[in-house]
Amino acid sequence: MDVEAIKEQWTEMEDRDGLRLSWNVFPSSRMEASRLVVPIGALYTPLKEKPETPILQFEPVICKPPCRSVLNPFCQVDVRARLWICPFCLSRNPLPPHYKDITPQAIPPELHTSNTTIEYKLSRPAPSAPIFLYVVDTCQEDDSLSSLKDSLVMSLSLLPEDALVGLVTYGTMAHVHEIGYNECPKSYVFRGSKDYTAKQVQEMLSLGSGGGMRPGMQQQQPGRPMPPMGPASRFLLPVLQCEFQLTKALEQLQKDPWPVANDRRNLRCTGVALSVAVGLLESSFQNAGGRIMLFAGGPATEGPGLVVGPELRESIRSHHDIDRDNIKYYKKALKFYDNLAKRTAHNGHIIDIFAGCLDQVGLLEMKGLANSTGGHMVLTDSFTASMFKQSFVRVFEKDSEENLLMGFNASLEVLTTKELKVTGLIGHAISMNKKSSSVGETECGIGNTCSWKMCGIDPSASYGIYFEIANQGGPTQHQQTPQKGMIQFLTYYQHSSGQFHLRVTTVARNLSGPAGDPAIAQSFDQEAAAVLMSRIAVFKAEVDDGPDVLRWVDRMLIRLCSRFADYRKDDPSSFRLEKNFTLYPQFMFHLRRSQFLQVFNNSPDETAFYRHVLNHQDVGNSLVMIQPTLDSYNFNQEGSVPVLLDSTSIQPTHILLLDTFFHILIFHGETAAEWRKAGYQDQEGYENFAALLEQPKEDARDLIQDRFPLPRFIVCDAGGSQARFLLSKLNPSTTHTTGAYGGVGAQTAQTIFTDDVSLQSFMDHLMKLAVSGTN
Amino acid sequence: GMGHMGMGGVPPAAQTLAGAARPVVLNQLYPTDLLNQPFNVAELELPPPPIILPANSSVTPSPDANCPPRYVRSTLNAVPTTHSLLKKSKLPFALVIQPYTSLHDSDDTVPIVQDQVISRCRRCRSYINPYVTFMDHGHRWRCNMCNLTNDVPQAFDWDAAAQKSVDRWQRSELNHAVVEFVAPQEYMVRPPQPLVYLFLFDVSFASVSCGLLATAARTILDSLNRIPNADRRTRVGFLAVDASLHYFAVPKDTEEAGETQMLVVSDLDEPFLPIPSDLLVTLSESRLSVEKFLLSLPQMFQENQNNGSCMGSALRAGHKLISPLGGKMVVLTASLPNVGHGKLEMREDKKLLGTSKESGLLQTGNSFYKSFAVECSKNQVSVDMFLFSSQYQDVASLSNLPRYTGGQTYFYAGWNAGRPEDAVKFATEFSDYLSAEIGLEAVLRVRATTGLRMSTFYGNFFNRSSDLCAFPAFPRDQSYVVEVAIDENLTQNFVCMQTAVLHTTANGERRIRVMTLSLPTTTNLSDVYASADQCAIAEYFSHKAVERALSSGLEPARDALQSKLIELLQTYKKELAGGNMGGGGLQFPANLRGLPVLFLALTKNVGLRKSAQIPSDLRSAALCQLSTLPLPLLIQYIYPRLYSLHDMPDNAGIPDPETGMIVLPPPLNLSSERLVPYGLYLIDDGQTQFLWVGRDAVPQLLGDVFGVQDRTQVKAGKATLPELDNDFSERIRSVFLKSRDYKSRSVGSIIVPHLYIVREDGDPSLKLWAQTLMVEDRADQSMSFQQWMGTLREKVSS
Ligand SMILES: [Zn+2]
Ligand SMILES: [Zn+2]
Repeated sequence: MDVEAIKEQWTEMEDRDGLRLSWNVFPSSRMEASRLVVPIGALYTPLKEKPETPILQFEPVICKPPCRSVLNPFCQVDVRARLWICPFCLSRNPLPPHYKDITPQAIPPELHTSNTTIEYKLSRPAPSAPIFLYVVDTCQEDDSLSSLKDSLVMSLSLLPEDALVGLVTYGTMAHVHEIGYNECPKSYVFRGSKDYTAKQVQEMLSLGSGGGMRPGMQQQQPGRPMPPMGPASRFLLPVLQCEFQLTKALEQLQKDPWPVANDRRNLRCTGVALSVAVGLLESSFQNAGGRIMLFAGGPATEGPGLVVGPELRESIRSHHDIDRDNIKYYKKALKFYDNLAKRTAHNGHIIDIFAGCLDQVGLLEMKGLANSTGGHMVLTDSFTASMFKQSFVRVFEKDSEENLLMGFNASLEVLTTKELKVTGLIGHAISMNKKSSSVGETECGIGNTCSWKMCGIDPSASYGIYFEIANQGGPTQHQQTPQKGMIQFLTYYQHSSGQFHLRVTTVARNLSGPAGDPAIAQSFDQEAAAVLMSRIAVFKAEVDDGPDVLRWVDRMLIRLCSRFADYRKDDPSSFRLEKNFTLYPQFMFHLRRSQFLQVFNNSPDETAFYRHVLNHQDVGNSLVMIQPTLDSYNFNQEGSVPVLLDSTSIQPTHILLLDTFFHILIFHGETAAEWRKAGYQDQEGYENFAALLEQPKEDARDLIQDRFPLPRFIVCDAGGSQARFLLSKLNPSTTHTTGAYGGVGAQTAQTIFTDDVSLQSFMDHLMKLAVSGTN
Repeated sequence: GMGHMGMGGVPPAAQTLAGAARPVVLNQLYPTDLLNQPFNVAELELPPPPIILPANSSVTPSPDANCPPRYVRSTLNAVPTTHSLLKKSKLPFALVIQPYTSLHDSDDTVPIVQDQVISRCRRCRSYINPYVTFMDHGHRWRCNMCNLTNDVPQAFDWDAAAQKSVDRWQRSELNHAVVEFVAPQEYMVRPPQPLVYLFLFDVSFASVSCGLLATAARTILDSLNRIPNADRRTRVGFLAVDASLHYFAVPKDTEEAGETQMLVVSDLDEPFLPIPSDLLVTLSESRLSVEKFLLSLPQMFQENQNNGSCMGSALRAGHKLISPLGGKMVVLTASLPNVGHGKLEMREDKKLLGTSKESGLLQTGNSFYKSFAVECSKNQVSVDMFLFSSQYQDVASLSNLPRYTGGQTYFYAGWNAGRPEDAVKFATEFSDYLSAEIGLEAVLRVRATTGLRMSTFYGNFFNRSSDLCAFPAFPRDQSYVVEVAIDENLTQNFVCMQTAVLHTTANGERRIRVMTLSLPTTTNLSDVYASADQCAIAEYFSHKAVERALSSGLEPARDALQSKLIELLQTYKKELAGGNMGGGGLQFPANLRGLPVLFLALTKNVGLRKSAQIPSDLRSAALCQLSTLPLPLLIQYIYPRLYSLHDMPDNAGIPDPETGMIVLPPPLNLSSERLVPYGLYLIDDGQTQFLWVGRDAVPQLLGDVFGVQDRTQVKAGKATLPELDNDFSERIRSVFLKSRDYKSRSVGSIIVPHLYIVREDGDPSLKLWAQTLMVEDRADQSMSFQQWMGTLREKVSS
C-alpha cells in the first residue's frame, strides 16, 4: 500500500481508537523484535472524545476471571452454541440470554467491527460528586491576589451544582476554611513550620471519630448511611449550598498578615498547606474523585517541603546548582512531595499546580504531585495574566451534556494475546501492581504491572504504553491468513456525571511472517515512534545525566537507521530511508535540541513543566512540541504555507507564525515590520497589508482554541529582542558554522553532535555512522 | 528660711515631744469568765482595741495620722518590746492588710499627692509619713523606721504648678496615714500598661449546655461601659476553648465590612498565635465589633458537642498573646481541663473523703499550675478563675493560678443559667468584677521600724523576694496577712509599719498607695493581751489553718487550732490570772472572748470541717475564701450572722433616721436553741443566705413574706424573695440587702449571696445544710459550743 494511504489508515484508527502504534505489524519473534530498536509502543488517549459513538447503557459482557476481557469485535461468537471465545485467554464464555437473537444483520454494538472502542456507563455510582479543594497562597501582591480571587469566585459558576468545594489558604501558616460555618468566617490554623502527620491533621480538624467528641454524639447511626460527606462536610460543601459563604471567604482573603523584613521572603508553607489539604480529603473522601488545586504565588520557604530559605540573599536552585550538587533543600523537599504524591495518588485524588510567579515556585520538587495524580501544571508569570485566567477556565470545560470534561480515579488495564507482553507505561499514572500473564519481563517506564491508576484523566490525557514480544518459537508456518496480535485497553473511571464508565479499546495487528518480513518496516509510524521515544528519553532524563540521555538518543537513531536504511556499508552517499522513516531523524534532531533534553536554558521549574506537558499530550501535539511548526504569510499567497523550521524561512516581507505548543510567536520580517511601524495597515489603499497582518493573528487564535495550558503569545519584529525566541528554534542552516563539521571520523558517535549543529551536519554524521557498521 | 516657707500653720512644737516617755496607760485588761459570762455575737462587731500612742507621736495633730483598721489591722495593738515577751504571750504578731476597701475609688477616696514630690528615706526607702520628725529648722527629717536623717526635698514646700509656696503642714502625707503618691517617671520600668482583659471561654458542651457561655458573653456585653477605660487604652481579647483553641480576630470599627474571624488552632504542642494582630483589641476602637461578637458568640458554639477542654494550653496561648503587655486572663469554665498542657485527672474518690488521704485532693494535681503561675507573674499576667462545673473540676489545682498571680477563684457549684437565681448571681458578680478598678503591675512591701521584720506573707500573690509581693493585677476584694518578727529589742515607745503598694491604676497612672500604722510598744504581757485584736488573730489563724490543711491535712489543721486555743488559755491562766481560775471558770480578757467560738467555727467551716460528705472542689473553694476574704467578710464566713426576723424590733429593716442606713436586727448566737418553731430567721455567711421558716410559722407571716397562706406552699430551695406590697415584706428585703452592704463594712466584694428558703419541716438535706452554719450546735462529727468549752476547760485546768 502507498505510504500516504497507510498514514490515512492510521489517522482513521487514531480517530476511532485514540491510539497510535510505533509498529503496526508485530514481529512474531523476540529476536525480530529486538532488532526493531524502537520498541513496540502505543500512544493511547483513553478518553479521547468520541461524540458520535453512543455510550452503552448496560454492563459489559466479561470473560471469566482472571482474564476479565470485554466482549469485542474480534471475538469469535458462536450464536448457536450461545458462547463466545475470548481471544486473550481462549476461554469459552456463555453469551448472556438476551444475546440469543444475534444475526449478522443484528449484532450488539460492542461486536460491531467499527466499534473497536466502545464505552459503557456502569451501574456503579461515584462515591460522591467531584471535589474541588482550592489551596491558595496569600503571600502575594494585592493585584495578583485580587485577580486570583476573581478567577476563583468565577470558577464556582463553572462547577456542577453538586460539586463539593473547599478552601485552604496559606502563608506563614495554613488555614483550612470551614465554609459550612455560618456564624462568622472561621478557619483552622496549622503552623507553617511543622510536619503534621495524616492522623494529626484529621484530629486537629476533628475529622476522626472519638477525640474530644461527646460519646455517642458523632457516631454514625447503625443501619443508616453516613451523611454524604461525614464530618468533613464542614469544610467541603456542594457549590449550590456554600457559594455565598465561599465567595465571601474568597473575597475577604487578605495578604498574609505576618510582617516580612526587607531582606527576606514571605514565609510560605506550601508543604504544610498541601499536606493538610491531602489529609482533609484523605479522611472522608478516600477514592472519591477530587482535585486539590494549588495556586502558588512563590516558592515554599517554610516548613516541610521548603525549596529556598527565607533570606533573599539565598537564591533558588538552578540546573547548574543541581548539576553541581549544590542544593540545600532539594532532596528533602523532593522526598517530602513525592511521599505526599504517593499518599494522594493512593487516596485517589488529583493535585493541580497553578504557579503565578515570575520566579520559580519549586515545581521541580513538587512535580510528582501532578505527575503521579494526573494533575495539571500551569506555569504563568502572574495570576493577573490572561494565560493563567484562560487556562484555569479551560480546566472546567464541559461536554455537550454539561458534564465536566474530566474523569476521576481511573484505572487502565492492558490485556494482551500471548505473543505480546506489556513492559510499562510512561505518563501521569501510578502502578497498581497488578500481575497477570500480560506482564512482560523487562520494564519500560512504570512496569511490572498490567494496570495503572490515574486519579485524574481527561480527554487529552495520553499514555505511552510499551510492549515486548514474548519469548517463543516464532510464527507458525503454513498460515492462510496472518495471525493477529491483540491488545485490549480497559479504562474504568469516575465520569463527572456521577457514574463509573468503562472505555474499552481493542486493537488487533498482524503478526509478521517469517524473519525479514518487510511488512514490519512498512508498518513503522515514525510520528508515533518519535513521540514514544521522546517519552522514554524524558523518562530517562529524570534519572540519568543529560549527556547520557543524548548519547542514548543518538545511539538509538543510528541503530534504527543502520537497521532500516538502504545503504552500502561505509558509503554514506548511498544512504536512503524509506518514506515512512525520512522524518524520524529530523524529529530526533529537534528532540535533542528541545527544552525537554537541553535543560540549561530553562529553569528547573520550566523543565518540570515542559516534561509534564509532553507526557500528557497525544502524538500530534507532542510532535509540535518536539518539532515546532512554522508558517509563512506573504502577499503572494492566500493563507499560510508551512515552511521549514530553518533560518532560510526568514524573509523581509514575510510574516512567520511559530507554534512550539508552549509559545505562539508572530514574527514580522524586516520590511513588514517597518511597514507596520509606519502604520500602513491603518491607511487607505493598504487594506491588503492590514489583512496580511491580521491573518496570522487569526490563525494563532485558532491554534489556541483548545490548547491547554494556554501558550505564551509573542509578537515580534526582525531584529527585536523577542525574535531571539524564534531564532533559537530554527535550524541554523545559514550560520557560519555550516559545513564546518569536516574531519570525518575525527569524533566519536558520542560527541559529534553539538547544540548548534545544523540539521544538515546532523544528517551527514548520522549517515556516516549509520553505514559504518560499527553499531 | 523655713519659717516663711509655710511652716507657720501649725506650731511644730509637737514634734519635740515625740519619742518621749511611754504612755502610762495602755488598754486595760478586763478579765472575764468564758463559762459564766457567755459570749455574745455582737462582740464580734466591736472595733479592735484602740491604739494608744504617746501624745504628739505624729508630726501633725491630724486625726487621720494613724492607719484606720479597715486598711491595716494588727493582731496586737500593743507590741511587745522583745521577742521573748512575744513568744511568752503565745499570741501571733501579724498585720491584716487590705489596701483597698471598695471596688471603686469613688467609694473610698484616699488623699492623693499629685505633685510627684516623693520624699523617701535614703536608707530604708520608707515614705515620709506623719511619724517622721523634722529637724534642722525643717530642712531635714528623721526617719521613724531607721532613724536616718534625710534632706527635705526642695519642692516639698513649693507648688511648681502654681508657682507659690505651700504650707507643708497641709501636705497629705504628713496628715494622713493612708495616702497615694502619683509616681514620677523613675517609678516606671516601661510606660504604664493599659488594662487588658483576655477572656477564656469554655465552649465545650458542658459550658454551652449549662448556659455559662451565653451568660458570660451577655454579661460582658452589658458591662462594657463599666470596664474601667477612662484613658481609652483598655484592651480586650477572646479565646474560646474546647479540645481546640479558638482565637478571634476582631476588626476595628473603622474597617469597612470588617467581620470578626474565628481561627481554630488544634495544635496544642507549643502555643502560637495564628495571626500577628487583631487578637487583642482596643475596646474604644473596636467597640461595635466587640459588641457584635459578644452577641453572636453563644450562637457560634450552640451546636458544639465537644467535651474536651485544653484550658491549660489556652492559658499558655493567652499568656503568649498578652505577656508583652501583661493583664488579666479571665477563665470562665465548666470543665476539667482534660486535653493538652496542664491536663488534669479525675482524682476525686468518695472513699478518700473524710480520711487522712483527703488532703491529697486539696493539693495541686499537676505541677503546671504552679510553674506556669510563676511565669505569668513574671510577665505581669494575672489569672482569675470562674469555675462552674457540675462535676469534679479540680479547683485545688486550678486555684493555684489565681493564688500566685494576685487573682481569685470564684466557684459556682452546680450552677445553671436555667435557674434565674444562678444567672442573676453570676451576672451581677461578674459585672461588678469587670467594673472593679484593679491596679496593675503592682508590688507590695511592708517596711517597719528597725527591729521588726516581715517574716511570712499570706494571700494571693507571688513572693518575689524576701519582703516583696508581686501582683500582676491588684484586686480590690482581698486581704493579706503578714507575720512580723521581732528581731531586736524595741527601744522606742512606738513602732511603725508602712505598707506601700506600687501599682498602675486602671487609668494608666503609676501610683504608690502608702499606709503607715503606728503602734505603742510595751514590756508588759497584760498590755499585750489587753490590746490583742481577736478578729485579726482569727484571720491570721485562718491562713495558718489553710496552710496546715494543704501541707499536713485537715485533721492536723483542726487539732492545731484547738491546741493553740488551749495554749492561749493556759498562758493567760498561768501568766495573767495567777494560775487560778477560781470557781471552775475559764478566764480570758474581754477583748479576746470571741476567740474560742471563732476557732470552733473555723474548724466547722466547710473548708476544714470533719466530714466525708464534702466534695473536694467545695473544700478547695472554701480554702480559697478563707485565705483571701477581707476581714469583716471572713469573720462572717467563719461565724455567720443569724437574725430573727419575725420579732425584729420596730426600727429594724428601716433606715435609721440619723444615718439613713437600714438598721439590722440584733444578731443572735448560732445556736438552734435560739430558733423558735414559729419563727422566721436569716442565716447569712456572706456566701449564702438562708431564710429559715419555722415549722409553726403563722399564716400571717407567710402571707406577708411569701404571699402564701399555707406553709406547704412556701417553695423551698434557691429563690428570690417576692416583692410584696406590705411593710414587713419590704423590711425583710431591706434586711437581706443590708446584710450584704459592703460599703458600710468598708470592704470591696462582688459576692451576691444565694438565697435559699429552708423549711424546718421540709427537705432534710437543705435543712441540714443550713444547720451546718449553726456552729454552736453539736453536729454529727463535731462538738457543740458547750462541749468545746468543756473540753477547753478540762485541758486548761489539767
Ligand atoms: Zn479471556
Ligand atoms: Zn529609714
